[in-house]
Formats: sequence, structure tokens, C-alpha cells
Amino acid sequence: MYAQLRSDLDGDAENLPASQVGKALRVTGTLDTEGELYVHGTVTGRINALRLILGTHGSVEGDVVAREVHIEGRLSGRVFALNVIVESTASVTGRIFHNTVTVAKGAHVDGRMPWRPPSYFETLTQLPETRP
Amino acid sequence: MSMFTRNDKGPDPAGTKAPEKKDAPLTGATGPVATATVEPNRPRAMAQPLAGGTAPTGASVISRALKITGQLESSEDIEIQGQVEGDVRAASVRVGQGAKVHGTVYGEEVELAGTVDGKIEARKVVLTASAHMSGDVVHQDISIQSGAYISGHLKPEYGKTESNVQPLHKREGE
Repeated sequence: MYAQLRSDLDGDAENLPASQVGKALRVTGTLDTEGELYVHGTVTGRINALRLILGTHGSVEGDVVAREVHIEGRLSGRVFALNVIVESTASVTGRIFHNTVTVAKGAHVDGRMPWRPPSYFETLTQLPETRP
Repeated sequence: MSMFTRNDKGPDPAGTKAPEKKDAPLTGATGPVATATVEPNRPRAMAQPLAGGTAPTGASVISRALKITGQLESSEDIEIQGQVEGDVRAASVRVGQGAKVHGTVYGEEVELAGTVDGKIEARKVVLTASAHMSGDVVHQDISIQSGAYISGHLKPEYGKTESNVQPLHKREGE
């Protein structure tokens, strides 16, 4: 999967339809997609996606592995992503492993944000079992 | 008023001020009143919002690129085009062509055009021509199109037998 992730976002991702967890939906388990995932509901578990967009009312509890993560809602857990954007409405508890991160003024971030080189994310397995 | 905001775009758009003027036409200083109600622009990390865009946030779509291992619970509709390993519970579930569900699908209405390996428990069940159903169907009202594959029992017992299904909407007269 990560061979595909390395290709440009405009490439494969655009051909794959985006998935959406609606605000009334609660998912317990693992979500695995090679495309975009919008979360407006509640997810408890792990998310593997090319790109995760966590909406204002969305809530994720668990680890997220993606190339790009856009957080507007609540997230509790670890994030492994090349690019991370934390909006002002976001509330994040946990660690954000990133290569580039943007945090808007007003965002609640409780945790560390360790920087990693791009190669770290390319070699990252789908299910990071290490607890660095 | 603009001295308190860091917004250099100039005067407020007319749309934000107009309602205030209607509410308090006699007060001379409409400006400060308007600014008190207009929420200051929250700083954004990105120029255009990605979430909360044009798509309605209520409906859920499991696209063909998504695989879920676990349970899904919703009080609204779910459309499944991808794969689900686990149980699905929603008001209305549509399993699209090419989609696969391995588990039980509970709902008021279930429309199946893909594959379900497990069980369907719904008041109204529609099996389209491309449906592939392996397992029992507990229903009250069922429609089966020509070409649908069914391996299992059809039981018109939805709502009659004790089950662990908790109805999402309590039906009248019960």
C-alpha cells in the first residue's frame, strides 16, 4: 500500500471514491482505505488511509496512519502522517509523528509532536507496533 | 471597529451587518453592535475547508476503497460499496454491487446488490438481481429480483421472535 502512497496525491487517490463516516455512525474496529476518509462520526480503533479528514464533530480514538491528516475534531491516540494540519477547532491528545505540521491558533494539543524524516513514513508498516 | 480586528479585508460584508440594522434601526452606532455578534474569524491552518464541505455529513459511505473490520452502528443510513468484516446496524443499509459484508446486517430497510455472508435481519429486505446472499434472512417484507442468489432460509419473523436486535426506531402500536 505504501508503494501507492508514495505516488502523488493527485494520482491514485483521485480515482478512488472517498469514504465518509457520517455523524450518526459509530465504528468500532479497523478502517483500511487507500483513498480519502472523512470522519464526522465516531471511530474507535485504527485508521489506515491515504488522507484522513476529521470533521468538527468527528471523534477518533485510536491510532491513525496516513499520508495526510487534517484534524478539525477530537482525536485521542497516535498520528503517523507526513503532513498534519490541526485546525483551531481541534482537540488532540496523544503524539503526532509528522514531517510537517501546521497548528492553528486556538487548537488544543496535549502531547508531543515528534518530527520524523520522510523515509520513516515510507517504511512505516501498516500497523505500527513500535511505541517510540 | 476595524482597529480591533486583524482582518485587513476592509469593511464587513454587507450580509453580516444587514440583520443587525433591521433589529436596531434607531441606535446610532450600529457598528459596535454588529461586531459584537459577528464571530471573529477563527484562524485557519488551511485556506479552504476540507471537511464540512458540500457533502452532507449525516450519510455514511463506505466506498469500494475502504475495508472495515469491526462493527458499524448508526441511527441513519449507511451505503456500503466496500468491504465490512463485522456487523452493521443502521436505519437503512444499502449494500452496493461489488460490496461484501461478512457478518450480520440489521436494519429497518436493507437493500442488497452485493454480497452478504452471514445474516440479514430487517423489516424490509430487497434483494436485487446482483445480490448474493449466503445465510438466513429474517424479514417482514421481502422482494427478490430475478437473478438474486440466496443460500439460506427466509424467515418472516422480524419483530416476532426474541432477538438481540434493539430497534432503532420504536414502532407505533407496540
